[in-house]
Formats: sequence, structure tokens, C-alpha cells
Amino acid sequence: MLNNIKWLFRSGDNSRGCGEDREIVVSSRMRVARNIDGVPFEPKMKVQDAHYLINLIRSVVETRFKGHYLDLQKITHLEKESLLECHLVSPAFIRGDKPAGVFITDKGTVSIMINEEDHLRIQGLTCGLDLPYVSSEVFHIEETIGEDVQYAFHETYGFLTSCPTNIGTGLRASVLLHLPGLVFTNEVEKVLTGAVQIGMAVRGIYGEGSEIKGSLFQISNQHTLGVKEEEMIETMTKLTHMIIDVEKKARDVMLTKARNEFEDKIFRSLAVLKSARVINTDEVLNLLSAVRLGAGAGILKDITLDVVNEILLVSRPANIQLYFGEVLEERERDIKRAEYIRKRLGGDGQ
Amino acid sequence: MLCDDCQKRPATIFFKEILPKKTVELHLCEECAQKRGLATTKKMSPIELLQKLLKEKTAQDAQVICSGCYLSLAEFKRTGRFGCSKCVDSFGSYIKNLIKKVQQSDKHIGRTTRPGEKKGMEIFKLRGQLKKALESEAYEEAAKIRDKLKDFGVENVE
Ligand SMILES: [Zn+2]
Ligand SMILES: [Zn+2]
Repeated sequence: MLNNIKWLFRSGDNSRGCGEDREIVVSSRMRVARNIDGVPFEPKMKVQDAHYLINLIRSVVETRFKGHYLDLQKITHLEKESLLECHLVSPAFIRGDKPAGVFITDKGTVSIMINEEDHLRIQGLTCGLDLPYVSSEVFHIEETIGEDVQYAFHETYGFLTSCPTNIGTGLRASVLLHLPGLVFTNEVEKVLTGAVQIGMAVRGIYGEGSEIKGSLFQISNQHTLGVKEEEMIETMTKLTHMIIDVEKKARDVMLTKARNEFEDKIFRSLAVLKSARVINTDEVLNLLSAVRLGAGAGILKDITLDVVNEILLVSRPANIQLYFGEVLEERERDIKRAEYIRKRLGGDGQ
Repeated sequence: MLCDDCQKRPATIFFKEILPKKTVELHLCEECAQKRGLATTKKMSPIELLQKLLKEKTAQDAQVICSGCYLSLAEFKRTGRFGCSKCVDSFGSYIKNLIKKVQQSDKHIGRTTRPGEKKGMEIFKLRGQLKKALESEAYEEAAKIRDKLKDFGVENVE
């Protein structure tokens, strides 16, 4: 049913362009959690409640917005994994056993999960740094739905969620950062500890933060009560700007102190991607980290960040299978992945 | 791994400081880290804090029942998840204290929602009626339903 899923592979809203500082900020994301008053929350929800909620929300959402609805019980395991790899759903969502589904807007930038841990999880993303834009997209949908259904809301605690850690705004904002400079200068831990001190959570995006995993780090807010949505977004944005500044300085240090070594690493990485015949996701992540750095610093003139982002996304295990439209074993995937990357980068022996 | 300082308790806090000429690495237990004033480097996340607090149980927990969904406080402490929008008030001061510790705040100051007439249920019903009318080829009836939906600001009706 998802034969033509290439629309899923767009990371962010291409028609609008990306946010700022793309060479450091891979993406900005935000989600809000909402529950419907009078309908039992997840632990007490029966199958008929789940169906009722899906029908109610679909009827509202599908009359108000243009997009696709995917019934989680009708799509394959591979398609679920692909939605996860595209950051359109959460891990808990695809592993749940209740009737559930996700509505994805035509632009592919906002998704509405129905029957996640909360009745609704509305989430948006864009490339680069632009949380205010993501927030406006998400809250436009949140407000529109809120005109048709009554959200569970409490005088003191704000929006009620299934888990006490989301209560209040129900808002989780995050930025995915590429920090090879700070990894090189050994400052990454210090900088990220500072983020934790002001109440943010930090994690390596594909495993705990190490250079081998592509120098990618995700920062998100931890608290949802006692702080206004706009303030949270401002704090996250300010913090991100601060990290961008130190990362830029670190990159300068890196490229001044060891220019030849880094150019060597960048060009070698690109050469491997252009000619490999068998390649796994970890190696892609590692090599792309260097290529991303080279593209951002203007060392690799022919490589755009769009291409880097696309390869990062399409190379993931489920996406590569959907890209070729066939179920592939691990070994076959590594071969097909190499083939796709060579083609994408105009490498040899396509 | 044992704590570098006391060599007795297991080390739970790993501390790394990169200085100009050397890197200092310490593996400490919570107590010794506190003595050195380093305990703040490992802050508990709200989820870790919640899980820790939920372990404090009392004999009365099974008797405290939510009036909205019949979830007991004992059940809540097992899963850490509310069963309905009335749970927070049903569990009263326990929840007040829990939320204050987990969220480091006890009052929402953000966006609100406007209570009032919600059209969702009505749209839902009308869409059902429209589908039926179209199936039975009652086009006049269908046109009337479409008009009603348009009154709700709904344009996108196939
Ligand atoms: Zn000790
Ligand atoms: Zn309840």
C-alpha cells in the first residue's frame, strides 16, 4: 500500500526551505501530547474506546487537513520501521498493541499519532534550526482539533497526560546537532553537561555519544510544567545558538591545526562512499559525518547538505528496502545500500 | 568497579575533566562524589525521578480509587500512568507532591484550552449520515448534509 513512499523521505519542508545553521543543526522537532476529555487514558482504554477515538479524530482531521492516514494494524512491519526511521512516529507507538494510526500532512512535516501513550501526539519537524516555525505548524493543528473536541485540561496542572512527566504543556522540543568540532577538541562533554544543568536532556542519536556514531547529538527539554511554551522554545533556541558558536570555533581550531589531515579524511570518506560495494549503516553514519563537515565548510563544493540528509535517511535498514521496493536480508541490504549511495553521489560503476 | 575514593562502595558517578596537560578521570560512589562537590554532574532525569518516587508504597494505596476510571493508587504506582482526566484530583495531595518533585513546579502557566461547544461529535455523525445517503443514492439528502457541514466550516467533504 505504500508502494510510492518517496514522499516520506523528505526531511523537512522543502517548499519552504530550511532553518538556520544547517551545517550544524540537522533538524528541529517538536511534539505536543493531548488527551480527549471523557475518554479513558491509555491504561484504562478498551479496544472499543480506541476505535471510537480513531473514528472521532480521523473525522475531524481528515475534514480539516490534507494528508494520508495510515492504519497501524494494516501496514507491514517494514513500513512501521520506515515511519520510525523518518522520525514520523515514536518507538512506543509502533510497538503498541491497541488499534492506532497516524495521519501525515501532505507536506510531510507534521504527523498526528492517534493512540500513542496519549490519545494524540502532534509532532512537526524541519531541517536546520527553526523551532518557532515548527511550533507554529504544530499549534495550528492542535488549535484546529481543539475547536472540535475538548482536550483534558486542569486548572492547576494544565493539559493532562498519561505520564506525569508530560503534564502541563505536553511539549517536547528537540534539536539534532552535528558536533564533530567539539568531539575533536574534547569539549563536547563539557558543553553538553552545561545543557543538562539548565534542565535539558542530551543523548547520542544512534547510540551513546561517540565519534563513531557520526558525532550526532540530540538535545531536548525535560520539564513541561511551570514554563510557557514560547519561553521553552526560546531557551532551546538560545542554547542551540550558544552551542553553534562554540562548535564553529572548534571547527576553526580543527581545520587550522590539522587542515591536511581533515581534508584527507573528508575526501577519503567521500571516495569510499562513491566506490564501496558493500556498506553497513554504521559505516555510512561515520563517513557521512566527515562528508557533512566537508560540505558545510565548503571543502566539498559539489555535495549539498540536502544530499547528505537524504543519504542519512534512505540508508537506514527499513528505508533502503522500501526504496528498492523489496524485502532484503542484511547482506543484500549492505550491497543495495552501496549501490544507492554510489548512484546518488555520482560515483563509479553505477 | 569500586569507588576511587573509598574503595568500598560501587562507583556510580563517572567524572571526566580535560585539563590543559592531562585528563582527570574519576569513578566515585554517590557519597564520595557529594563530598567532592561533584554529585551535581549526574542529575536525575524526570523519568528516573518518577520511577524512584513510585517505589515508595503505603498499605492504603489499594484503597485509594479514582472516581473516574477506578484506577487504584497502587496500580498507578506500578505503571506511573494515569487512567483518566480525574486521576490527578482523585489521588490529591500525593499527586501534588509527586508532580512538584518530578517537574520542579506545581503550576501550569502555558497555553490553555477554550471550553465550549465542540463540533467534533457532530461532524463525525454528519459524515456518517452523508456516507449512508450517498450509498443509498439519496442525493437531495446528501446535499442538505453537505450544507450543514459547510456551516461548521468543513469544506473538504468528498
Ligand atoms: Zn566512595
Ligand atoms: Zn482516573
